[in-house]
Amino acid sequence: MSGVNWWAIAPLLVLSGGAVLLMLLVAARRDTPLSWITTALILAAAALSCLPAREAIPQAVTPLLMADSYALFFTALFAICGLVTVIVSHEYLGERHGENEEFFLLVLLSTLGAVTLAYANHFVALLLGMELMGVSLYALIGYPDKLELPLEAAIKYLVLSAAASITFVFGFALLYAAVGVLDYPGIGAALASADNPVLLASAAMIVAGLGYKLSVVPFHMWTPDVYEGAPAPITGFLAAVSKGAIFAALLRWWMASGLYELPGLLTLVALVAGASMLVGNLLALLQDNIKRVLAYSSIAHMGYLLIVLVACGLVADPHLAKEAAAYYLVAYSLTSLAAFTLLGLLSRASGSKELASLDDLTGLFWRQPGLSLLFTVALLSLAGIPLTAGFVGKFYLFSAGVAGSLWGLLALLVIGSAIGLYYYLRMVYRMTLAGDAQPAAVERPGWPARLTCYGLVLAMLYLGIVPGPLMEILRTIL
Amino acid sequence: MDGLQVPMEHVLGLASLLFAMGLTGLMVRRNILFVLMSLEVMLNAGALAFVSAGAHWGQPDGQVVFMLILTVAAAEVSVGLGLVLQVQRRFQTLDVDNATRLRG
Amino acid sequence: MVYLLLILFLGGGLAWLSERWHPQAPRWVALGAVSFALLYLAVAVMRLPAEHFSLLPAATQPDTWLAHTRLEWIPRFGIRFELALDGLSLTLVALTLLLGLIALSSSWSEIDQHSGFFQANLLWSLTGVVGVFMALDLFLFFVFYEVMLVPMYLLIAIWGHEGRAYASMKFFIFTQASGLLMLVSIVVLAYQHAQVSGSYSFSYFDLLGSPLDSSLGFWVMLGFFLAFTVKLPGFPFHTWLPDAHTQAPTAGSVLLAGILLKTGAYGLLRFTIPLFPEASLEFAPIAMALGAAGIIYGAVLAFAQSDFKRLVAYSSVSHMGFVLLGLYAWNSIAVQGAIVQMVAHGLSTAALFMVAGSLQQRMHTRDMSRMGGLWLNAPRMGACALFFTMASLGLPGLGNFVAEFLVLLGLFQVAPRVAVVAALGLVTGAIYSLIMLQRSFQGPGDPERAVPDYGGREMATMLLMIALLIWLGVYPQALLDLTQPTVDSLLSEAGS
Repeated sequence: MSGVNWWAIAPLLVLSGGAVLLMLLVAARRDTPLSWITTALILAAAALSCLPAREAIPQAVTPLLMADSYALFFTALFAICGLVTVIVSHEYLGERHGENEEFFLLVLLSTLGAVTLAYANHFVALLLGMELMGVSLYALIGYPDKLELPLEAAIKYLVLSAAASITFVFGFALLYAAVGVLDYPGIGAALASADNPVLLASAAMIVAGLGYKLSVVPFHMWTPDVYEGAPAPITGFLAAVSKGAIFAALLRWWMASGLYELPGLLTLVALVAGASMLVGNLLALLQDNIKRVLAYSSIAHMGYLLIVLVACGLVADPHLAKEAAAYYLVAYSLTSLAAFTLLGLLSRASGSKELASLDDLTGLFWRQPGLSLLFTVALLSLAGIPLTAGFVGKFYLFSAGVAGSLWGLLALLVIGSAIGLYYYLRMVYRMTLAGDAQPAAVERPGWPARLTCYGLVLAMLYLGIVPGPLMEILRTIL
Repeated sequence: MDGLQVPMEHVLGLASLLFAMGLTGLMVRRNILFVLMSLEVMLNAGALAFVSAGAHWGQPDGQVVFMLILTVAAAEVSVGLGLVLQVQRRFQTLDVDNATRLRG
Repeated sequence: MVYLLLILFLGGGLAWLSERWHPQAPRWVALGAVSFALLYLAVAVMRLPAEHFSLLPAATQPDTWLAHTRLEWIPRFGIRFELALDGLSLTLVALTLLLGLIALSSSWSEIDQHSGFFQANLLWSLTGVVGVFMALDLFLFFVFYEVMLVPMYLLIAIWGHEGRAYASMKFFIFTQASGLLMLVSIVVLAYQHAQVSGSYSFSYFDLLGSPLDSSLGFWVMLGFFLAFTVKLPGFPFHTWLPDAHTQAPTAGSVLLAGILLKTGAYGLLRFTIPLFPEASLEFAPIAMALGAAGIIYGAVLAFAQSDFKRLVAYSSVSHMGFVLLGLYAWNSIAVQGAIVQMVAHGLSTAALFMVAGSLQQRMHTRDMSRMGGLWLNAPRMGACALFFTMASLGLPGLGNFVAEFLVLLGLFQVAPRVAVVAALGLVTGAIYSLIMLQRSFQGPGDPERAVPDYGGREMATMLLMIALLIWLGVYPQALLDLTQPTVDSLLSEAGS
């Protein structure tokens, strides 16, 4: 490997080196603020290291990793999301007694897993990234170990996520048995010539395994429980980074191996997408817990995103669809991070207990105007109202769908969005109701967390009002 | 390759059987320890399939992946057992039916 | 034109912030912003050369329009920030700002909770509507069309009456969902354009006359038609309207009835028919049938209401049926009639909602069975109510009569039978209007009842609208001259 090689995977190196450094640091000195700042710096460095890495791409770094602009783009996104999570978690962990240093280490490792997924060009890298991310998340979800809900959520996530990984592994074993290669381009070449009924079964198992992690119907059962049980910043991380990374990896594999040419698979994905949009949105209507509502809405959002996969298979030039996926992922990551972070901050600001039911939102708009306004913007972005990033993402999906003539899925997208409006607006409405008197003590969250929230919401509005620059970037790199 | 060759299809059949057994165990067992064990069985079914496929194609990749899977399994289980300990401490039981604060 | 939007938008922000400074400040800030915007528009129009008003605003030559702005926005899709003004847009923008003032006046003493945020939402929804009337890039148009819903939703949801949660939600979901259908249609149009010409464009000027496969064209047209008919509202998509109008605060009802409904009519006139002339021609009988059904249905239901605001709301359904008929008759007279109807209905209904609002504020009820004989207590209010009821039922000499007469005249040339049915609407309109007046202001009353009459601010607002309606009724030519070039160019664009 030449010197240039190392630059191409600079973010991976920064993250792995940083993780080791942080472990040593924690071993030497237990100091939460110190490890907090170190983690934040490492993640920022990882994001920044994408800039010099641009000079060294594209190149394959061993058969496992493909360093190209796609990988770097998502690396930067995940590192930034990780950074946001770390910054706001400090606020969240503030009250918790005991040792919190490992929390940041776990976020770092999980982000490393996500970045590996962005680079993955081979089964082994895919499995490694997925597990690194997943195993760290089990621990993160169950981190508040004195509480019952997070523990239960962690167990649930562990069992179901492990089952999903194993289904994925087994599917890949079958695929390997059928074609004899494990890297994406090789699989693509072999698929083009092979014709074997095992292929569809194995591809279906693989997609099912990844579908679990994306929480699409019918593999969505874990989502609401885990979202509800996990600490708010981790829920945001789960929604933004974990799902984003899995989708990025899936999309790369989908394109690199030409999976969409497998007859039947496209129909399967279209069905899953449609079912996710409908089921996610309909079940969200029945919830009265905010985190569960957002969990079901995330199921619907993943369904929207799957439209891209179907469109990729049907159009001659999949550029538009890939851009749509990337834009939507950016918008969705920022928005869900903002939503969960704000939820966490609002809970702390309105007393010590976690904001749980819709009733807790009553009157928040008048008690906490600043944070509530930001939360409203985040909800509107999730609903896809113009001038927010969510709308531009949806517009992109519409464009990709129209280009692929996917009228059925587009109709479901419209219906789903209309249903979605109801539960998003219901939350906004609750916040604007005249509430009770002022609570005894209103605690202002610390400035790093508040600043981060303002930054996220501003980014959301910027991407919604001036989407041009990001679109140009996406067009040139994808 | 000399010696007795087991056809790949047979090994894959065995692996599928193991996978199905593990999946069944996962669904019917209520004790978390048994659930984790079922997961192990499933994971090993996948690993076995990789080994046999690697042998079929005459490549070392199958065995490499097998070792990777072992490592992954170790990581999964270590975190899993850690959580199991906490569950035992919190709920005084390992029965998953008792941990039903969450509705799903 | 960008400044017009900025004035309103920033004025809204300022109004919100000024609440911290003084609780009375927001309404003055809002008043200042709207007046300034109106003044700005007036000055800008005055400075245009007079002969400019007689030019046909051709789609291929934006410089024949009264004003035109084009800025790059999203180059990836060829989306531009493109605003243009012709006689039609100018009329509606002026109406919007005027009704903005009236809405402010009507909420002057009604809103005491969070008035800063209220005025901000009021101004933001005005911004959205003004944007809708000026946007000539379809993407931009859609953005304004959807964005104006959010402040409107908040107006109803926060300051509305008892059933506000349901009403505001229904309003938002109906219009938003139909709007998404329009978005799909817009994207299909742009995509087709890209297939033919190689690059995306959302500009009205580029898409007009862009060739479209006729079966696809029909579906795309339907997307637009549904969105605008829900907004209009046309029968049978009107069900959100009575709820929203009834539950909204007075200023909200004034804006909804006065101008938000007009965005639907404007969309049909500006986009649906010219973009899809053949599909629209094919569809015209259905649209006209819906219009006629709306007239009769709205009138019959209005007749059955006991809630003052609900009655006015259903009468809107009936009146907007005339607009739909006028547009789809698609000849110069009928379209002009529809435009006059948009203005006249905006004024008369806004005024009736103001009367309803002041009744509610004074008597805490909208139920007409608990009114009656109010003339005794509040003669000035009664006189205003009488005037606007007469306007609404189409008394000759007032704006609404001119409008409905022109629509019927134009319609008769195209579809005489529909015209006969529609004319029945005039008769039923007279019945429910008079019943409303009789049950609330006439009849035996209670002279002791403490219902304060209109004061100076309210009378000034009312007199302004009375004057405008009379002017529209006796000298509609001024308005007709202003919009004639637009109508001519649209008709020649789409063939008549």
